Amino acid sequence: MTAVPATRSASPARRRPSMARARRRSAPYVFVLPFVALFLAFSVYPLVYTFRLSFTNWRGVGAAEWVGWDNYTYLLTSSQFWASLGNSAVLWLLIVPIQLVVGVLAAVLLNSVLVRGRGMYRVAYIVPFVTPLVAVAQIWIVLFDQNYGAVNAVLGSVGIPPVGWLTTSEWAKPTLALLFLWKTTGFIVIILLSGLQSIDNSLYEAAALDGASRGRQLWSITVPLLRRTIMFAVVLQTLAVFQMFAEPFVVTQGGPYGSTTTAGYYLYNHITRADLGTGAANSFLLVVLVMALSLVFVRLLRAKD
Amino acid sequence: MTTTTASVETEVEAFPPGRARRPRAAKRDLGRHLGAQVFLLLLLIGFLAPVAWAVLSAFKPAADIIRYPLRFDPTVFTLDNYVRMFEDVPIMNGFLNTAIVLVFKGGITMFFAPLAAYAFAKYRFAGKNLIFGAVLITLMLPTIVLIIPLLLQMKELGWVNTYQALILPGAIDAFAIFWMRQVIAAVPDELLDAARVDGCSEFGIFWRVVVPVIRPGLAGLAVLTIMNIYNDFVWPVIVASSERMATLQVVLSTLAQNITGNRIGADYATVTAELLAASSIALIPLLVLFIALQRHFINGILAGSVKG
Repeated sequence: MTAVPATRSASPARRRPSMARARRRSAPYVFVLPFVALFLAFSVYPLVYTFRLSFTNWRGVGAAEWVGWDNYTYLLTSSQFWASLGNSAVLWLLIVPIQLVVGVLAAVLLNSVLVRGRGMYRVAYIVPFVTPLVAVAQIWIVLFDQNYGAVNAVLGSVGIPPVGWLTTSEWAKPTLALLFLWKTTGFIVIILLSGLQSIDNSLYEAAALDGASRGRQLWSITVPLLRRTIMFAVVLQTLAVFQMFAEPFVVTQGGPYGSTTTAGYYLYNHITRADLGTGAANSFLLVVLVMALSLVFVRLLRAKD
Repeated sequence: MTTTTASVETEVEAFPPGRARRPRAAKRDLGRHLGAQVFLLLLLIGFLAPVAWAVLSAFKPAADIIRYPLRFDPTVFTLDNYVRMFEDVPIMNGFLNTAIVLVFKGGITMFFAPLAAYAFAKYRFAGKNLIFGAVLITLMLPTIVLIIPLLLQMKELGWVNTYQALILPGAIDAFAIFWMRQVIAAVPDELLDAARVDGCSEFGIFWRVVVPVIRPGLAGLAVLTIMNIYNDFVWPVIVASSERMATLQVVLSTLAQNITGNRIGADYATVTAELLAASSIALIPLLVLFIALQRHFINGILAGSVKG
């Protein structure tokens, strides 16, 4: 606050008002210029570039040949493309419902006055979200190793034979889903908790004065006001699950038998094969899908409100 | 699961503290309360166990990690895994590259994002809505759509495996502008006008009036930015995966390919031990920062959640 002196009489701005006004008019352009420059260079230009690229068969060298909608029709009739979307959809089903149930449960419990140590829980729950994904993915590989992993050691101690968590196509998806759940559920709890805390206490008091029962208060105040936060969390996680890349990249390399080749990982495959035109088309299809899914959830959110 | 679900309702009912219960109801409440505590505690253990297991195991003799994954004997504490890991893995190089990217990319975001946000929050100018629309589009665009063209762009510029490629794309984070705009909008206009009348330049107003006032928001932004840059993986692995340029996360990821290629016998034990040592050491800087700045972290993460 020391930057605001009390004396205002001898200000140069008073003496030269027109120049000050001119500076004031040009200042915002100067302030946003760095952002605009980077935006044009590293967002607009590449976007236009991908769009054009998606209609060519360019492989990174030589001349690009215009192929019209070929890349799009190739993808839309490719079983691999649909399998990658299917894998992401299965992961979504394994992740989002569980995360919501556990998340809402934990948030409501943490928000109740009866539970002690709320601060400690909040901190501990967010630890997985803060840790670097690659480091944790490495730990996952070790923990879930079929022969030497700690998870199978625990199961073995109660007589359950070793499970091929990362080596069988039926278990690889749940194991990756568990990694994703571990990494982000605490974050969802914190979001839901802040949603709960933003519910004005006076609403409950007013409702109680009007003679509403506690059950009525839960149904008429807590649930409707939290629903918005819940749908928000769903949109957020849907975007994240369909773009999932680092988890299969580090832990399973998309295997076994392509069972963890997610939509995001499949896209990366085009890059490694230098099949850039198809990759560009795949990017756009994925964006359209992700945007459409978000819109559907936003609509649901509006309808329920 | 069903008993805990039932307890949720009581907890919420109990949320606005009410009249005294009859003894029987109180007893039932105690049971549900206990159930709630157990549920929260189990979740806490689940969240901390993998990290704790990895950090502790890294201090065990390599052979013991795979032979007795669940046994922890403080008398056989060893640093061998760390010593070997530092010999085999270019992890210091990874730390150094990450630090360089953090300083420059983080610095650019921390300076230019609030500056642009200040223009959006406190000025009227032609094209403002158009440019802010660009911010929103950048915010909503899935990162994957830009990866291929950005990579090609970097190839054209000759920037593959350079610091520029790691630093410049996305350096002025759209989310940071979006968030700081909200924070700066709350700064009273009278404060800015007073400074203006006193002859403060437009940038001076930002630097000497706005920045000191929004310091808590900036702290939140700083920790969020550090976390995002430190943990960033997809772009670095695609554009700068050479050994010399690899950031910490990229170094860690190639370790994984090593281990899957060496799944047999003693080799596996050694590689596993080194891998756990490397992963543990990568966790430490962020965990220390997190514990020191919990409040700012949680504020930053909450604000950050509007992204997407």
